[in-house]
Amino acid sequence: MNLKISALEFVQQVQNGNISAEDFVAKTLERIQSIDDKLHAFLFVNEKAIDQARDIDKKIKSGSKVGACFGMPISIKDNMCIKDSKTTCASKMLENFVAPYDATVITKLKEQDAVFVGKVNLDEFAMGLTTEFSAFGSSKNPWNTEYVPGGSSGGSAVSVSAFECVASLGSDTGGSVRNPASFCSVVGYKPTYGLISRYGLISYSNSIEQIGPLTRTVKDTAFMLNIISGLDPNDNTTIDNKNEDYLSGIDSGIEGKKIGIIQEMVGEGTDPTVLSATKDAISKLENLGATCEDVSLDMVKYSVAAYYTIAATEAGSNLARYDNLRYGYDFSVEGYEFNSYIAKARRNFGPEVKRRMIIGGFVPSAGHAGKYFLKAIKVKSKLTREINEAFKKFDLLIAPTVPILPFKIGEKINDPVSLFLIDINTVTANLTGKPSISVPFTISNGLPIGIQLLADSMNDKLLLQAAYALEQTITLQEVPI
Amino acid sequence: MTKIGLEIHCQLTNLKSKLFCSCKANYREFEINENICPICMGLPGSLPRLNQEAVKKATMIAMALNCTTPDKIAFFRKNYFYPDLPKNFQITQLNIYGKTSIGGTGSIIVGDKKIRITRIQLEEDPGRLIYEGSSSKNLITLVDYNRAGTPLVEIVTEPDFENPKQVRDFVNILSDLLENLEVSDPGLDGAMRSDANVSIEGGNKVEIKNIGSFHDLEKAVHFEITRQESLNSRDIQIIQETRHWDDKRKITVSSRSKEEDLDYRYFLEGDIPWIIIDPKTKENLKSNMPESISSKKERYVSKYNIPTQVATVLSSDKFYSDLFEESHTEVTAKEIANIITTDLMGLIDTREKRKESKITATHLKDLADSIQSGKISRNSAKNALYEIVKTGKNLSKVMSELDLGNVSDESELLGIIKAVIFEELKAVEEAKSNPQTINYLVGKVMQKTKGKADPKLTLDLLKKQLK
Amino acid sequence: MVTEEQIEHVSKLMKIDIDDHKEYVDKVQTMIDYFDVLDSADVESEEISMQEITISNLREDKYVPFNEKLIDKLNNYKGTYVRAPKMS
Repeated sequence: MNLKISALEFVQQVQNGNISAEDFVAKTLERIQSIDDKLHAFLFVNEKAIDQARDIDKKIKSGSKVGACFGMPISIKDNMCIKDSKTTCASKMLENFVAPYDATVITKLKEQDAVFVGKVNLDEFAMGLTTEFSAFGSSKNPWNTEYVPGGSSGGSAVSVSAFECVASLGSDTGGSVRNPASFCSVVGYKPTYGLISRYGLISYSNSIEQIGPLTRTVKDTAFMLNIISGLDPNDNTTIDNKNEDYLSGIDSGIEGKKIGIIQEMVGEGTDPTVLSATKDAISKLENLGATCEDVSLDMVKYSVAAYYTIAATEAGSNLARYDNLRYGYDFSVEGYEFNSYIAKARRNFGPEVKRRMIIGGFVPSAGHAGKYFLKAIKVKSKLTREINEAFKKFDLLIAPTVPILPFKIGEKINDPVSLFLIDINTVTANLTGKPSISVPFTISNGLPIGIQLLADSMNDKLLLQAAYALEQTITLQEVPI
Repeated sequence: MTKIGLEIHCQLTNLKSKLFCSCKANYREFEINENICPICMGLPGSLPRLNQEAVKKATMIAMALNCTTPDKIAFFRKNYFYPDLPKNFQITQLNIYGKTSIGGTGSIIVGDKKIRITRIQLEEDPGRLIYEGSSSKNLITLVDYNRAGTPLVEIVTEPDFENPKQVRDFVNILSDLLENLEVSDPGLDGAMRSDANVSIEGGNKVEIKNIGSFHDLEKAVHFEITRQESLNSRDIQIIQETRHWDDKRKITVSSRSKEEDLDYRYFLEGDIPWIIIDPKTKENLKSNMPESISSKKERYVSKYNIPTQVATVLSSDKFYSDLFEESHTEVTAKEIANIITTDLMGLIDTREKRKESKITATHLKDLADSIQSGKISRNSAKNALYEIVKTGKNLSKVMSELDLGNVSDESELLGIIKAVIFEELKAVEEAKSNPQTINYLVGKVMQKTKGKADPKLTLDLLKKQLK
Repeated sequence: MVTEEQIEHVSKLMKIDIDDHKEYVDKVQTMIDYFDVLDSADVESEEISMQEITISNLREDKYVPFNEKLIDKLNNYKGTYVRAPKMS
């Protein structure tokens, strides 16, 4: 059986009776079994996946109504709650936490008969861009297992790239879906802020992050978006997309569209290989009838500092609840005084999370908020104004997803500021709430390069049309695993 | 001059659900940790879902206290670790990026003093800590989160009070106002909690935290002023500090942890967008607001000619004014106001008695009608009321069971009058020459009927007999 | 430049024990010092904005109990309480 098919192909083949959901899921689990030791995408596998697929097959055979996923095996980043299953955030702190409820995206996927094959790896609490900060060990890039897969949704990208599932859900706080998608040569999507409910997504920096699909094709992303997007009463920040169908008209093309090339993202610090790939992408888009022009977003220079300031502040607050009193790991309060107990219990956080929480305590504190936090949110506001201005002139913006190629595991882990700068092209979409996609574009010396497109808020459909157009111009190499 | 300012935390006890989740706002009926859900327990991945009605009710409170109401409100996180806070931050309000708390500056008249309101904010109540164990060394801290997330409105005043009495008058007015607005039942245990700041002439400001009831608030303020004055008289400096109210010993005690050491790192709550309160919503709220106590009082005086004092008492208590509103007509208004303020209020003078009382508006209406048509004397009406409150039986049943109806049958009454005339020959003669003294004979008839003779009919019949 | 004392103070505030002190503090310092770039962003006059929602789109006030006995799934003491350490 061919596991290397897209989500839409999977649906079609199950519908046609060419394959059964059970067989496909079983084969998928076998593949996980055989290759995941090398890749470490999965933190744990759903033992009931085959049974669930079999039940869906029965529904199909009996002619009863079947959801749009037809038993499609999907992996879920382990910072989203699935009822009665472990949700660890790749942290020792939540090693034993069993979620008592489903995230909204999980509810929606269950309704459409998706099968969750397992929970996948991430940097602890999604803080990182390599998965090296996972408390359970780094994932490996399937294109070259000595290299990082990107992060924080590294497990998602690896599992899709290495055919350990058909699609995956990740979360994108500063590029956490797009970055690993670029590094692993899959499609990664960060929707307009509020398009997908965050209910059940364990917050890292809640004012800027979104859940997003990682898939093999742009159409698959549109398919996933159709299922998981929309207003949710459980999340006051969701917006009404009027049940937009992102698949219909996806092949509308981009003739006549104006595309701005973000100057601050193609300059100094961009790897020449990445730069030439970007230029190549631009000329391909021009060949399709789009016009491309330079545009400057001055605030991008400050965006990484603003992003880390805001993210750390929110993280410091969001992660305060992990005091080990109501849930957590086995560590008795007996004999401890409150402050010393909490500090002891919180030793189970990994070093990067601790660092970011200390930063998150510092930058908004009474004496320092004016210098750091307040300035950061003002940069966010100004950057939003700038990009809104740009979207008056352009339909889309373009930049490389990541300024550099994937790097080796361990290469940058001790250099926080150089890690910061890898986020420079992705954080703008988070700070401004705009939708953004990473499309796999080329492979250079065996390492993938992704191209990023951005659109204005709620123009997700247009963005997917453009990404689809770009995707059609390229033939991708198959992953060597 | 002594200066006192208050921060009053008022639970919106009349709401059905908590501020950010659908658990019950009135947590009092539950077993320990039974009124909880992933949201109010701050479980990973949960998000606050703001209660629409809480925003409306809090806006109404702001309006009733003559505060400005902003077009946009924002929520902030106040970050600190404490076991009663499931998220280790409290979602509250602040005015750091413009005026975004639910109520801005306002004022309220207390006696002849104007008390300025600084701001009003909407926030979540924490859970409750319980200490178990015998000696203080072996205390075990237990937490009940049933209360966590209960909607709280915090009312902050300027330091405009000069003495404990003004504080008491203010909180009395405030409780009546909150009850009248149907937002809260101030009588519920823990529904009204306050902090106070107190400074005497030339002294530093002292903050008193955690005063559990309005009753204790006055006491705490009184204690604190006395303490400060005593220090002052001994030339001991009053240090600026935070104290808490020890409700067992009824004294203020210096808090060990210094408030100044805390850094709450306030910042915007990203999970709740800014809420637009458009002019139309505000207008609707204003027009749907229950009539204010002062306007009720004015109406009672001007429309029904009810004495000011009676009107004041009647209007300020929602339970009674509701009974009045439901039962009165133009004709019976004054009578009912009287029954309520002179008899009923004495009969059910505690919270428990009020709860147990079976009286309804229909009872009051029947009573007033019967008094006015002479079916029952005011005296008997009082007895009937006692029975009604106890049993809830209707008036006619009570009257017949207790034989309280007026003797208004002409022949029956005539028989009694004749007997009185026979027994009181001297008085009869006197009455014939001096009609003023006829009242003595009326009194005798009343005596014989145990006060149940219809007074008007008795007088008429007597007059006829004496002709 | 952020001082070591400041970082220690904040780590207490955030209830985080620092182990390998020197390396830790150095990294945090480097990270925070990078944020100095914000000083040249010239954003003092910028207004802060946020997503907005109308009051009618907020949750209706309805009591809906959680569908499970949640305390059973949490750390509990004698079945009903959550136990906290001694408050000093």
